[in-house]
Amino acid sequence: MRNIFVCIKQVPDTTEVKINPKTGTLIRQGVPSILNPYDHFALVCALKLKKENPDFLINVISMGPPQAKSVIQLALALGCDNGYLLSDPSFAGSDTWATSYALSMAIKKIAKPDLIICGMQAIDGDTAQVGPGIAAQLAIPQITFCQEIELRENKLIAKKHIDDGYDIVETSLPCLVTMSMPKDFELPFPSFVDIVQSLSKEIKIYSAKDIGADENLIGLAGSPTQVLRIYPPPREVKTVYIKSSSVEAVERMIEIMRNENFIK
Amino acid sequence: MPSFDPITRELMIDSLRDYARKKLNYDFIREKDRLNECPYEILREMYDPKILGIHLIAIPKEYGGLGGGTFDLYRICEELARIDLGIATSVFATYLGMDPINVGGTPEQKKYYLSRIAKEGLMVAYCATEPDAGSDLVNLKTKAEHVTQNGKVVGYRITGLKQWISNGGIADLYTVLALAPGGPSWFVVERNTEGFTPAHHEDKHGIRLSNTAGLSFDNVYVPFENLIGGVEGQGLIQAQAVFGYTRLMVAAFGLGCGWSALETAIRYSQQRIQAGGPLSEKQGYMFKLIVPNAINLEAARSYIEYIARRIDNGEHQLQTEGAIAKYFATESGNKSAEDSIQALGGYGYTRDFPVEKIKRDVKITCIYEGTNEIMEMTIYRGRWQEHLKTRGEYYMSMARELEEISKENNESGAYEASLALKALANILEECRINKLTRHQYVTFVLGRLISMAEHAYVFAKTAFNDTLSGTVKFDSATYKAMSRVFAKNTALKIAIEGGWIVLGLNDKSSSVFEKINMAEIEKRQYGILSDMELISKSLVGVFKSK
Repeated sequence: MRNIFVCIKQVPDTTEVKINPKTGTLIRQGVPSILNPYDHFALVCALKLKKENPDFLINVISMGPPQAKSVIQLALALGCDNGYLLSDPSFAGSDTWATSYALSMAIKKIAKPDLIICGMQAIDGDTAQVGPGIAAQLAIPQITFCQEIELRENKLIAKKHIDDGYDIVETSLPCLVTMSMPKDFELPFPSFVDIVQSLSKEIKIYSAKDIGADENLIGLAGSPTQVLRIYPPPREVKTVYIKSSSVEAVERMIEIMRNENFIK
Repeated sequence: MPSFDPITRELMIDSLRDYARKKLNYDFIREKDRLNECPYEILREMYDPKILGIHLIAIPKEYGGLGGGTFDLYRICEELARIDLGIATSVFATYLGMDPINVGGTPEQKKYYLSRIAKEGLMVAYCATEPDAGSDLVNLKTKAEHVTQNGKVVGYRITGLKQWISNGGIADLYTVLALAPGGPSWFVVERNTEGFTPAHHEDKHGIRLSNTAGLSFDNVYVPFENLIGGVEGQGLIQAQAVFGYTRLMVAAFGLGCGWSALETAIRYSQQRIQAGGPLSEKQGYMFKLIVPNAINLEAARSYIEYIARRIDNGEHQLQTEGAIAKYFATESGNKSAEDSIQALGGYGYTRDFPVEKIKRDVKITCIYEGTNEIMEMTIYRGRWQEHLKTRGEYYMSMARELEEISKENNESGAYEASLALKALANILEECRINKLTRHQYVTFVLGRLISMAEHAYVFAKTAFNDTLSGTVKFDSATYKAMSRVFAKNTALKIAIEGGWIVLGLNDKSSSVFEKINMAEIEKRQYGILSDMELISKSLVGVFKSK
């Protein structure tokens, strides 16, 4: 069997989150937790590859508090094979580098990876660093911001999103890809039957010791990043006055909107 | 049957919510409501095991179902009601329609019918109500007459009319209550049986997406094997046996509709600027239209969950508890929807916002599965017996229990809830001594007061714990404040309303307010303003405007 790893994260539904302007912290009260949508899309891509290549085993892995089991069970209900949760108080406070280290240690312990798929970023922190961090830790090639991936023999071909279009990139396996998601992509949900059947699949809980992680490289101690302040970005309002005849004014407006990428 | 773990259950709720987001947006539902159309294809999809398999949760595992418990079904019913109460009613009709088979069927009947319902995704209708028999099923007119062969009963011919049958026009299977020679009995009738005709889909005030029809049975032949349980005369016992659970599901409908309307109002209140500030910051608005409803709905949830857990733990015969839950949650849901229209002003009165529809829909929960007046009577009957049997100890012992926990801390208002229970016990005793329950009106008022008191008891006990149910969206401090306000308010209401009937019907009861310790109840009212402020802010924090 070949092994795909999908790294997923439970995040607060940011459409519901507001920042307390006084303290600068997230108001999480009553905010539901969801599977990070980019990770959800990564699962969809992994499941598609498995359908085309039945010799793939999909291992889902997440780091978080015990309640993060919920997103792993969702992944199992959607059709993934094995679930792993890295949960240990000593992971608390890990930044993207320490998280990448812990995830890469867990992957090494579980099986030799053929392919690792991550969402391009989590919608709570928006750093887009954990995926590339894992690839660096494991010293394997990476392709970030992929819209589509396919396998041809022992090569992975990716359609990589860039600002003004896309690149087609090829690499050998093992490798790591991070997935961006087409706009308005309808993420699938499992049926009640799938959800109940997922209970027959075990979710393994690993501590830092279980994965052989060096305590100095995880948690706050292993995190070079220090968060000084969180605040909502100030909203900039630009006003342009156009003084000309109506036809010219419309043309000018269209030009401005095109330059600002409001229309194509 | 025990329920699933919370993670598994909430994944199902998420899937249901996702399905609704994709297929059942408000424009779609609004149009179906306008056209008075049941979305039959949607229901078929919801039954499809590859898409949701919503019927399977109510079917035991051994018959191909998923074997969900009462807590699971309560959460699903609540979520369905948030989506659309018509669709919820249709799904519930299948759950309800299976109950006579589940409760009273022979092992062979269970295997045959439940497996078919599971596998083929059959829709079921529960057919008890008749033009002249609603809650009073003794008036049943539909007859099932013996068909004999060589002196042996081989089948029945059913003749009569059924009314207000959910899924009446679209079901595949019908469980029908009819009067057999041996007494009321349930029969299974298949849709295409000769002589069976569903009437037109009713033009209703609300739940217009739920197919409701009258049914006509004209000499409909069913073989003996279709008599549920194989013994005549078990029908009313079988119907009664599931009221604890079925009424809890209607309570969940009240809860879902009530919260859905109130959430719309809370979000709206943050956008609507009047006299220099959002409505969400105005006491006159929040404390009148929003906060009391939120408190009542959370009291209702605490009670529903308390009973659901007890049923899941194997307790039976919780009919009085089912009635208490149904009565309180549906009255609270109805009031929340009513106040939500008011909260949206002119917008609330239009069909552009969903509250107008929710208000029309939720009204049915005060009517079906036994009207709320029948609930008042049922609650009174059940608890009056307990009061007599225990010589007034029934509520006094609950009061002592709360008094004990209030000594540790009274953050959840356990002491005030204990005053409510003691007041109730004394009112019941006054009614006994002065023989006031010979007046029907008194019994109905007592039913209502009992429902409130038991909610205060459960709410105070639940809020006392710092670890809250995963279904509660508020922090512990807000939840405790809700319980405190509820307990104070309940104690005062029981004292005043109970005192009122006692004094109003008996001129020798002048000392009633002393007996119910009105002075202490009055003294304990202080503090509601700061609690309501806290709750109001928390509601706005949880249900932010989009």
